[in-house]
Amino acid sequence: MEALGRNTLGGLKSAVKELVDEFLLLFANILFAVSLFAVWGVFTLIGVIVDQNKGDAFYWQNYSPVLARVVLRLHMDNIYHSPAYIGIIGLILISMTVATFRRVIPARLPALRPVKIDKIPLHASVHVEGDEQDVRSRVQRFFAERGWQIRKREFGGEEWSFVDKHNWARRGVLVAHVGFVIIAAGTTIYWASGYSGQFTVLSGTTATIPQTGATVALKQFGYRIDPVVTKSGVVYQPIDYVSHATVTGKDGVARDAVIRVNQPYDVDGVKVYQATYGFGITFVLTKDGRVIAGPPATPLKEGESFDIPGTSRAIQYRSFVGTIDRRTGDAGRDPRPNDPGVVLAAFDGDSPLGQVLVPLGKALDLGAGYALTPQKYTLYSGFQYRYDPGISLVLIGAVVLVLGLCISFYLLPARLYVVITGSAHSWDVGIAATTVKGYDIFEDRFRDIVDALRRTPQAS
Amino acid sequence: MLDPLKVAIDHNLVVVTLATYVVGTLVLIGYFLLRTPVLQRAGMVLACLACLLQFVELGTRWNMTGVWPLTNLYGSLSLFSGLGVLIYIIFASKYDLWLIGGGVLGISAIAFGYATTWNEGYMPAVPALQSYWIKVHVPIVVSSYASFMVAFVVSCLYLFKSYAERRFSSGTRVVRAQAAGNAGSTVSMTVAAPPVSSLEATAARTETPGVAAAAAAGDPFALWLAGLPSLARLDMLTYRIIAIGLVLLSVGIITGAMWANEAWGAYWQWDPKETAALLSWIIYASFMHLHTRSAWRGERGAWVSIVGFASIMFCYLGVNIWISGLHSYKM
Repeated sequence: MEALGRNTLGGLKSAVKELVDEFLLLFANILFAVSLFAVWGVFTLIGVIVDQNKGDAFYWQNYSPVLARVVLRLHMDNIYHSPAYIGIIGLILISMTVATFRRVIPARLPALRPVKIDKIPLHASVHVEGDEQDVRSRVQRFFAERGWQIRKREFGGEEWSFVDKHNWARRGVLVAHVGFVIIAAGTTIYWASGYSGQFTVLSGTTATIPQTGATVALKQFGYRIDPVVTKSGVVYQPIDYVSHATVTGKDGVARDAVIRVNQPYDVDGVKVYQATYGFGITFVLTKDGRVIAGPPATPLKEGESFDIPGTSRAIQYRSFVGTIDRRTGDAGRDPRPNDPGVVLAAFDGDSPLGQVLVPLGKALDLGAGYALTPQKYTLYSGFQYRYDPGISLVLIGAVVLVLGLCISFYLLPARLYVVITGSAHSWDVGIAATTVKGYDIFEDRFRDIVDALRRTPQAS
Repeated sequence: MLDPLKVAIDHNLVVVTLATYVVGTLVLIGYFLLRTPVLQRAGMVLACLACLLQFVELGTRWNMTGVWPLTNLYGSLSLFSGLGVLIYIIFASKYDLWLIGGGVLGISAIAFGYATTWNEGYMPAVPALQSYWIKVHVPIVVSSYASFMVAFVVSCLYLFKSYAERRFSSGTRVVRAQAAGNAGSTVSMTVAAPPVSSLEATAARTETPGVAAAAAAGDPFALWLAGLPSLARLDMLTYRIIAIGLVLLSVGIITGAMWANEAWGAYWQWDPKETAALLSWIIYASFMHLHTRSAWRGERGAWVSIVGFASIMFCYLGVNIWISGLHSYKM
């Protein structure tokens, strides 16, 4: 019974070992890694082509029913955060780790053994005159001066020199892979303990960053949009967006801050970015000429709506129009508020009733004695904030990755086999070369080395 | 108000640069076909001149408007053309690769000609582009695109020669040659089918026995083909150019992420441009991995390089023009 148990355990152990070996063999295989890359590439391409994070309704409206169903069923609407996408990146990281330890680190130039020089595709022979010791020392000096590391061994009374360069550079792949892992670690730190969000602040009001309690009081938002004459007509080009604010952090000290695009403000390690801006509108609702409650007292932002009391109807503030074209009554091209208006949409329950452009200060007759006047606009600023404790690690990882790529692409571990044969004052220096990346890539360098050796005195 | 003299100089520079690209293309195609030294020298001069004119034109715009000229598709495509030719000149000088000039200058001419259709005049930069990062990120990314363009041309040449070799070496091919002292006679030559083992395949990649045999028999097309760089050399050059381009693309993506972190508050937002660049990076990283295996060098590698360049074009133009996102700076 005991023997049976031992046999079963032994069989199980060997089966597990076999399985682990198979797994390691597969994950260390370059073609497997490239296959994972191909799947990663296809997923990424899907993410580029298919609109992301738009909500189910968007796909049903804009895609054919079959395509919409495929997109939603296969979670292609948020592919970058899907289990499949994260899974493939996980598999690539495993493959990189296994390949690094099973293939990259153990990979070495061949052992220090004599070779048949003329059987190696890159080989040459240089004739040198002089006595043996002098020739040997000159050849050794030639390679040493060019940064080659020389090791000598004797085989059957014949001295062989094994001349290496950049042998350490085969670790470049390891460095690049480590860079990847560091980037993944930095990203994980953000997922685990970082946060981000958005908020909008009307001029003259204050917003709070919920995670830290820091406040941002917007004194004024400014923008500059210039008309620029181009070949296809006048284009209104945004030149500057700037928020003048007072920011109060954990220390309770209020500091003036100027926040622009590309110039975030740092409060307690949280960066606050200028993201958007808009026009808040104050509405006045009247019934039979008397002001009644309905729209909120604070200005409405684009996309917000309110109900008309005593009815099933609602009004939505769709968008702000800077300049109304007086000739047509439509929205003009100039986005600056010269002759502003707002686009309002009306709903009865969920049913849209239509939309209309209303100049600021003009009343819109809603029927049944109701009238709505968009009175004035107030600029607001939209901010993005982010706390990312892993970003330094991501940057370090990126630098390490590029360093690894440079080492593995530009430094070529190469080995020269050198043997000197001959007698008296006439010697032949036989040289053959091999590298970890094949022969073709070293052909020019090898020719240069041989030419340089031929140019040395007493050589031909 | 812009100086009308400088505007006129800029307009003329655009025309002269485009003309230089076109003439350079024709001359270097002539050199590719005829291999006459005079055409090579003329092509070299025209390539250098076109490159110089392109940078002078961009410099003139910068000087005239005070706005970094790479804030729109016109500027970036202009830089792509100029850098493509510059990288070609560097590689051609180092590796004696002037033969591919017709392809490189031809693509540069098309890119710059297309760029002029996006030239809307002189516009200030939008707030998102008012950053020192534009002077770092854009030239690096565009130089990676330009490197991949040169690699693409070398890969096309590889495939051209490789398929010609296949044509010469597959089955039986009758080579008609006017042998000296044997005028009018016909020489029949049978060439063995391509080898199949990986070792033999490597040997076949480094040599072109079919072309060599046909050239020895006097076939004019084979003689012309034999004058092209060897397949092994073209494969090695593709590898070297992609090695430059991939590092540049990596640095470009990283600097772009650093800029995005400063402008948008996140170093990676899965914007179509970012992800399309990632896709290209994946393809070229695959190329570098595959190149470690001898069976994947040569023809297969050349195809991966071509697919990679198609992805670059999609990332560069397709995403900019057809897919809206944070990188939509066409005008």
